[in-house]
Amino acid sequence: MGGSAMPHLSLLEQALLTGVLTGGLYGLLALGLSLSWGLLRLVNLGHFAMALLGAYLTWWLGTSYNVAPWWAGLLVVFVFFFYGVGLHWVFMRFRVTEMASMLITFAFAVIVESTIQTIWTADFRRYETAWGSQSWVVGSLYVPKLNTIAFVVAGALAAATWAWLRYTYAGRALRACAEDPPIATAFGINHRGLSFLLSGLCAAFAGVAGVFIALIATLAPSEIWSWIGVVFAVVIIGGLGNPLGALAGGVLIGVCEAMTMAIVNPSWAPLVSFSVLIALLLFRPRWI
Amino acid sequence: MLLEARNLTNGYGGAPAIWDVSIDVGEGEIISVIGPNGAGKSTLINTIAGLLRGQTGSLRLGGTELSTVPSHQICNHGIALVPEGRRLFTGMSVEENLEIGCYRSAARRNRDQSLERVYGLFPVLRERRQQLAGTLSGGQQQMVAIARALMTQPRLLLLDEPSLGLAPSIVGDMFRIIRTIQSEGMAILLVEQNVLQAMEIADRAYVLEEGRIVASGLPRELLAQSRIKEAYLGL
Repeated sequence: MGGSAMPHLSLLEQALLTGVLTGGLYGLLALGLSLSWGLLRLVNLGHFAMALLGAYLTWWLGTSYNVAPWWAGLLVVFVFFFYGVGLHWVFMRFRVTEMASMLITFAFAVIVESTIQTIWTADFRRYETAWGSQSWVVGSLYVPKLNTIAFVVAGALAAATWAWLRYTYAGRALRACAEDPPIATAFGINHRGLSFLLSGLCAAFAGVAGVFIALIATLAPSEIWSWIGVVFAVVIIGGLGNPLGALAGGVLIGVCEAMTMAIVNPSWAPLVSFSVLIALLLFRPRWI
Repeated sequence: MLLEARNLTNGYGGAPAIWDVSIDVGEGEIISVIGPNGAGKSTLINTIAGLLRGQTGSLRLGGTELSTVPSHQICNHGIALVPEGRRLFTGMSVEENLEIGCYRSAARRNRDQSLERVYGLFPVLRERRQQLAGTLSGGQQQMVAIARALMTQPRLLLLDEPSLGLAPSIVGDMFRIIRTIQSEGMAILLVEQNVLQAMEIADRAYVLEEGRIVASGLPRELLAQSRIKEAYLGL
């Protein structure tokens, strides 16, 4: 590529920033998926559907009932937690395996998509808020406020979850169960109780992601499927069950996408996540 | 008797691997169960540990019937398992593995004392406390497995083939450690293919063949029987 075709430096800086912030949102979406896959051995494709449902609920409560997004968000997160507990009850009741969980939750995602489409139609929805398009200006960079808040929340949740898994008895017990459930049981760990809690948390994280998606993105029922590829790559790059990895993976993919858009061509961006994933799998760093 | 197993029958998928097995372990005793591969030794120990349920017969520890106790509460009654093949949580550090040992609330309160005790028994583990358990040598992994079980502050320690896959020099160390643990007053049920060592250390022993107890008694009496000598020592 010739020098003249290189974009201006500040454009690259802006792309880098956009990539990092978008990565935060990917990380937020990946968090719950990574935890349930890594620690419960359940691949929950319904996670994306629930995130989108959370986004629609936030938008709907806000535009139809004037409920502020933070209140709507709290409600969504609270309700989703119990949905997550109930979902896990179903998984346990029918002894769903890892592979079966993927198929079942795929079907669930289709049902949620159709339901959203039935209730709110397939029209694009945009949640207009007073501060939705506000930015801080730092030097030559525009730092969008909402994306930054989303990133901070993603970072806080990932760090808190990491610390919980590492430093608490419950967290360590969950990691032990993921490795060897019978031996964990022999040491007094009640896997059932803990896995209900974790499943609830994963669903609550989907709710948090949904709130930010409502505020940042344009909503359409088919959005569910556009995330699956990218977020799957993020989860695998970050390492299953590793919350900080999920965030780091999100940022990596986000930055690679944004740089590809800025330097090469926006239409190449969808290629990026899987190219990065394949490259990483070929070189197999230790953390995957 | 601390542990009284009476007429235990249990197995996998409806096919019993142990039949009508009765054994006793007294306070502070080391009891060895020897037998060939596939005799049902692991089935017996996993049944006592609550890993394999669905047994018939009775299983009492200090007078409490364990058959109706949920699996995750068996350790609360004072039974700790050192499983065959160690089965450490390999992605967790040495100390995290030990802390799984003191997960049950009664043991959690004594975490610090318990850690000091097992680090005293196995000083090398203190040096390697932050290392991932899966990266240790076989002998060190066996130390973590024993230390993890001791962290639960058990009354009865179940050891399933602790010498399996270890270098001969380390096997000697392992039996010395088992002796030390017993001298502190713990009861031990040991399942081993390493017959000589298992008999040497035991107060009493049982011979398990094809799922049934075929002989029991003092180790030297058992080893005096020509059939046992022939089958297990090749003499």
